[in-house]
Amino acid sequence: MVTDRTAPIETAALSAEVEGLLSPAEPDGVYRDTRECGGGLLLLGLLLISPPAPRPKSGVR
Amino acid sequence: MAEQTQGAVPLSAVIADAATGVALALQGGGDPYALSRILRQGDPLAPAAVRVLGADALAPYALEHRAVPVGADDEAVVRQTLAAFPPGADASDVSAWSYRGLVEATHAYLPSHARPWPRPPETGAEWTAADPWPRLAHRVSQLAALALPGLAADLEEQLTSRTDDLARGFVRAVRRRDWLQAAGVGRWLARLPDVPPTLGLDAGLAFVRQMGGGDPRVALHVVAAQRFFGRGW
Repeated sequence: MVTDRTAPIETAALSAEVEGLLSPAEPDGVYRDTRECGGGLLLLGLLLISPPAPRPKSGVR
Repeated sequence: MAEQTQGAVPLSAVIADAATGVALALQGGGDPYALSRILRQGDPLAPAAVRVLGADALAPYALEHRAVPVGADDEAVVRQTLAAFPPGADASDVSAWSYRGLVEATHAYLPSHARPWPRPPETGAEWTAADPWPRLAHRVSQLAALALPGLAADLEEQLTSRTDDLARGFVRAVRRRDWLQAAGVGRWLARLPDVPPTLGLDAGLAFVRQMGGGDPRVALHVVAAQRFFGRGW
């Protein structure tokens, strides 16, 4: 006699999938904030291209 | 994960379609809501999708201006779900609470004239006091469907004492760009009293929808927060 053994397996697999979807693990917190990175780069660039601070002249007229 | 036969729609797609249907119904668009109408007739994955959505599958029935009585098809699919996917002995707390939320929603929004609904199962809530705030926020976000009027009153009471922790979790989730978690925690915060005004919950929920609204479940949580609790833009 042939019995269908696939149905309970599929049901169990579906139940496992449902359980996984109900309480998935939290993804790892690796992320980059492009706005912060961009802001840091802009600040560094402005510092590099800024003119030198004025210095007192040595000669007195 | 269950193997999909060739050409079959994956469960995640069925859930996404159903979530979209619920969100549209909450926004008040289209025909009167019927759960059986947003699911494909005879789809073997439909009860699984209802189990994952939990009480949200019945959320539109919580609206006061419901004009059409609940149909027998809706009752049938919910009964099928409750019978097919009860939380097992080794099920997570989230699974047990989600199941309880669906049962409570049937009692509250889906009155049965023929047969009574099953009683809500007992669920432990020790984690609401014991979990550190990041874990608490993650777990609460997975129970966002319980943030509906009249459901899980005891859970609301216990989470009220940890409002500040949930506010931290909301900010953390936004910073991590975990929009589903942010939307879920934000929806619970919308239900809780005494949310710190410095959190900017309304603007935060709008931001989450803008950034993560492509995910139907994110959109559903934000719409529910707005529709039931008046938070978010």
